[in-house]
Parts: sequence; C-alpha cells; structure tokens
Amino acid sequence: MSTLLTVRDLVVEVPARNIKIIDGINFSLDSGQTLGLVGESGCGKSMTCYAVADMLPRGIARIGGSVTFEQDAGGGRATPKIAMIFQDPTSSLNPVHTIGYYLETALYRHQGLKGMDARMEAVRLLERVGIDRAASRLRAYPHQFSGGMNQRVMIAHALAAKPQLLIADEPTTALDVTMQAQILHLLEELKAETGMALMIVSHDLGVIARLADRAAVMYCGKIVETAPVAELLQRPAHPYARALIDCMPSIDPQDLDPPVPIPGSVPLLDSLPEGCHFHPRCLRASVECSAHFPASAAVGLAHEASCYHPVAA
Amino acid sequence: MTAFILARFLRAIAVLVFTVTLVFIVLRLTGDPAQQMLSDNAGPEALAAFNEKWGLDRSIPEQYLYYVVNALRGDFGVSFADGREVFTVVAERIPKTLVVTVSAFILSLLIGIPAGILAAVRRETALDKSVMAGAVLGYSVPNFLLGLVFIFVFAVWLRVLPSSGSSTWNHAVLPVATFALFNAAAIARFMRSTLIDVLGQPYIAAARADGIPYWDVILRHALPNAAIPMVTTIGFVAGGLLGGSALIEPVFAWPGLGSGFVNATNTGDLPVVQAMIVLFTAFMVAINFSVDVLYAVLNPKIRKH
Ligand SMILES: Nc1ncnc2c1ncn2[C@@H]1O[C@H](COP(=O)(O)OP(=O)(O)OP(=O)(O)O)[C@@H](O)[C@H]1O
Ligand code: SF4
Ligand SMILES: [Mg+2]
Repeated sequence: MSTLLTVRDLVVEVPARNIKIIDGINFSLDSGQTLGLVGESGCGKSMTCYAVADMLPRGIARIGGSVTFEQDAGGGRATPKIAMIFQDPTSSLNPVHTIGYYLETALYRHQGLKGMDARMEAVRLLERVGIDRAASRLRAYPHQFSGGMNQRVMIAHALAAKPQLLIADEPTTALDVTMQAQILHLLEELKAETGMALMIVSHDLGVIARLADRAAVMYCGKIVETAPVAELLQRPAHPYARALIDCMPSIDPQDLDPPVPIPGSVPLLDSLPEGCHFHPRCLRASVECSAHFPASAAVGLAHEASCYHPVAA
Repeated sequence: MTAFILARFLRAIAVLVFTVTLVFIVLRLTGDPAQQMLSDNAGPEALAAFNEKWGLDRSIPEQYLYYVVNALRGDFGVSFADGREVFTVVAERIPKTLVVTVSAFILSLLIGIPAGILAAVRRETALDKSVMAGAVLGYSVPNFLLGLVFIFVFAVWLRVLPSSGSSTWNHAVLPVATFALFNAAAIARFMRSTLIDVLGQPYIAAARADGIPYWDVILRHALPNAAIPMVTTIGFVAGGLLGGSALIEPVFAWPGLGSGFVNATNTGDLPVVQAMIVLFTAFMVAINFSVDVLYAVLNPKIRKH
C-alpha cells in the first residue's frame, strides 16, 4: 500500500505568544487507511488537522517540518484532494446559502459539473449520505436542518471533491448518540466505497476504535504513542494512553472496574513542565522523566511510544 | 415572511400615530405660541385674539382632533410667521434637503463600504490603520464643526468654494462633503467590524479549506452575511439624515428643511415645527420599515421560517 501523507517534525506556533501548539510530530498515512487522533481537549488535534489541510487560522503558523503528499513526488505541485468536515456542522455551513448552492458550487469547482448535471449529482450525493426527499432539500437552508442532517450535508459536500483524504475533526461530538452511530456507519461505508483515506479526530476512544486502523495519542502538542488500534487498546505502552483507556466508561456488564480519572490536569502550553510533559500526573515518573523529553522508541510491531518506563505488555 | 412584514407595517403605523400624538401634546404644553410670536408688550386682548384665530383657545383633545382630520387631508394649517400654507412652506424646502442628503448618503456608501471592506480584509496593515484613523477622526468630530473647518479651509483660506447659500451646484459641495464624510466614517467602521466578525466564523474557514478563491470567499460567502447587520446600520445613518440636516444646513445657510426647522423653532412657528416633526417621524418610520423588510429579505432565517 502506498503512503499518501507524510508529516515530519511538524511544529506549529502562535508567534505572538511564542508558544508551540504542535511540537515536532511525525506520522504517515497510507491511502485507504484510517488514522485516529486521540487526546484530551487542547492537546492539538484540530491544529494538526488544520496544518495538514493548510488552513491554520490567523495568528497561528507552521514554523517547521513538512507535510507531503504522494503526488508531490511524481506529479509535481498538484494540489492533493483533501476534504474536511467539522465538529459543529451547522456553524460550518454558510447560513445565507442553500444546501443546493453549497453542493452545486462544490461540484462545479471540483468536477466541472454545471446546471442540471450538477443538480442531479447533488441529489445523488444527498441520497448517498442518507437524506430523504433529497431533491426538495436543495432549496433548504442549514438552519432548517438538524445537526445530524447538516453533518450529512457536509459529508456529501466533502464527497463532491472526490477526496483522497477526508479529515474529520470530531465529526460526531455535537450529535446525539444514535446520530453518532449513524454518521460513523456512513463514514465506514464511504471509506470502503471510495477508497479514500480518513483522518479522524476524537477524544472518544470508542470512535477511534471503531473507525481507525492506526491511532496516535496526543498530549500537549506531541504524539506520545502510535500503534495499530487493537494493539493500542489491548497493550497501551505510554502511561497516558493507558490512563485514557482506563477512564473510558465500559458498557460491558462483566467489567466491574469503575472508570479511573487521570489525576491532575492538562498543563498550560505556556508553562509546560520540563522533560516528559506528563510527569506531574504520571505514577511511573522517575528523575529522568523530568529532565529530558523521552525520544520515541519501538515497543512492538509498528508500535512506538515516547516514554522512559513504558507499561509492560 | 408576509406575516412578518405585515406585523412590521402595522408597527410602523402605530409608531407614527403615537409620535404625532406625543409631539402634538408636548408642543402644546411647552410655552405659549402667542407669547412667542407677538411682541413682548402685546396686551391680553391681542394674545386672546391670536389664540382664538388659531384655535389655540380650545381644549387640547379638540385641537388634536382638528389637526389630525386636517392633516389627513394634507392641510397642516398656516404658518404663524407669514400666513402661507404650511404644506407649501415645507414642501418647497424638501428638494433642497434631498439634494444634499441623498448625494451625501450615496457618497458615504460609496466611500464607507469599500473602505470598511478593505480595512477588514487587510486587517492590521498600514491600510487598515489609516482607514480606521480617518474613520475615528471623521466620526468623533461633530459634523457642524467639520463644516466650519471646511468653510475655513475651502471658502476662507483657499477661496475655491462658496461658504453659504444654494444658488449654484458649487454651493452644495461643502454641505454634501461634511455630511458624507461623517456618515462614511460610521459606515466604514461598522463595515470593518462586521466583516471581521463574519470572517472569523467557522463557515468561512470551511469555505477556504474547500479551496474557494480568496475574493470569492469575501464577496460570495462573507459579504452576504455581513450585509444583514449592515442594513441596520445603514438604516440608522439614513434615519439620521434629516436630523443631521438641522445641524449642517444652518452652518452653510442651505435653505432646506434643517434650516427651516431651526428658524421655525426659534420663532415659535408652531404649525411649521409640528409639520416638520411629523415629516421627520414619517421619514424615520419609513426607513425603519424598509430596514425590517430588507433584513427579512437578506436573512434566510427570517425569510424561510
Ligand atoms: N489563537 C490561539 N492562540 C493561542 N493558543 C491557541 C489558539 N488557538 C488554539 N490555541 C491552543 O492550541 C492548542 C491546541 O488546540 P486544538 O484546537 O488543536 O486542540 P484540540 O486537541 O483540537 O482540542 P479540542 O478537543 O478541545 O478540540 C490548545 O491548547 C489551544 O488553547
Ligand atoms: S516518560 Fe516518565 S513521566 Fe513520562 S509517561 Fe513515561 S514514565 Fe511517565
Ligand atoms: Mg479540536
């Protein structure tokens, strides 16, 4: 399988305040694969997505590292086909434009479709993402739809770009549980159907477990562990990953262990602890942990962690 | 949307009736027109005769009824000052005021909107800072003072434009400029802040992520959203035009409604003052109503309920 996306030593900063939001992360994504990014709020998951899609907000800049796509090697500077969907679909849709305008202009931009062709394709896409009476919905505005329907519209819009990579930043966080399940199912189907790669962000390991092939655990702007999803869930090596898994509520009635909260709180980016950023909250911490940040090292097959004292398998 | 517009229309009528009534009562209660119009040493008989002639000796409700019935027929009475029909006295000043206010209004839109857009798009650059410095200056200097400065510079010092009167087009230049600059400043400031606000919305980030060209994002995605709150501000500016004419016209001795209103107030010409206030109110109400309608037309959340 060919590598679609390679991120090397990515550093993202807020220049005005001289804080590093993303501090030297590495990962790669094969075409057709799904990578899950997981971590507590503020660890830099969204910024990683924005950096990959080259849409960092004002006042935030990539100051180091590289983001390269497969075509760059052969096809020169062809723009990679990336589409993105967001956590809050309703506010990510322009309130003054109809769903039809939104989809048809995207179909024109990405596929050159116009007029009746664009309209028919828009209807087909809406049907594909599970919106009934699709033809009559083209004249609707986002405020007339529920959050779940708007997320479907965003997905339809993403499909219009025929992306090689779909970035989904917490696509189900704002939705209720049944809607979450439907959207995840839809993403699974579309992935299989189109062969696109998926980068999915969630603070919910359950979502990651369901969709991703590999997962990367982020903490304070660093990837602290990456592994195939099943391996990560069964044999987390980094104490933070382990703690994240332990504080997941289980729905298994056999599992009587109550969820264990992680002690302490996430440090602020402008006052990160020296060494391993997790050491003030880590039960395994030793002296060296507070001296230098641990380099990433293999702890298993395709399994790496940045920790001096990884949890044994 | 029809229900919305109908409701706003009825509200406009109600506001008009309420204001006309209030103004009528307040004007009757503040000061005796006979005292003001006649000389100080007029005897009681003269005052009584004046009051009887103009129906001022009747009760306020009676006067009000009379006034409303006549006003609905287009009869606003006769000027105390020169005995001419109020309707004529007011109507002949309208074109003069329209020339200044409408040109100033259009000019302020033509300057203010692009300036605000550029300032927002080139945020925190020298361009933005100079536009905003100009806007703050234009907005914080009272407009009659700006008028006096203009007179000093262009009429007294450079001697390129006349300072007062209305006999040639050149006479309109300074009043229009004064008016337009003040309003353009207000519009530019609001345009900038509204657009900056819209540009920070998630749907703009999403549009840019989708690879839509920058100016397309500004023109087709951001501006239609910014237009909704802008309508209110522009309506505000439009509504202030007649009131502003009372401040600016006297500075340039421009014989429009504003000067007329100031004169009539000074001389206590009650019927003229009253008719002008009714006209100003009707104008305000009409502007507000248009703002409501435009707001609904531009905003799908109201249009498609
Ligand atoms: N404009 C900014 N100025 C300074 N810091 C910022 C700015 N925007 C974001 N940050 C910081 O960057 C960090 C990473 O933000 P990011 O949105 O990527 O987090 P996240 O992992 O997606 O969190 P969440 O789960 O809440 O979405 C956060 O700590 C945030 O406080
Ligand atoms: S490096 Fe040390 S402090 Fe950091 S997670 Fe590993 S054991 Fe804990
Ligand atoms: Mg986020």
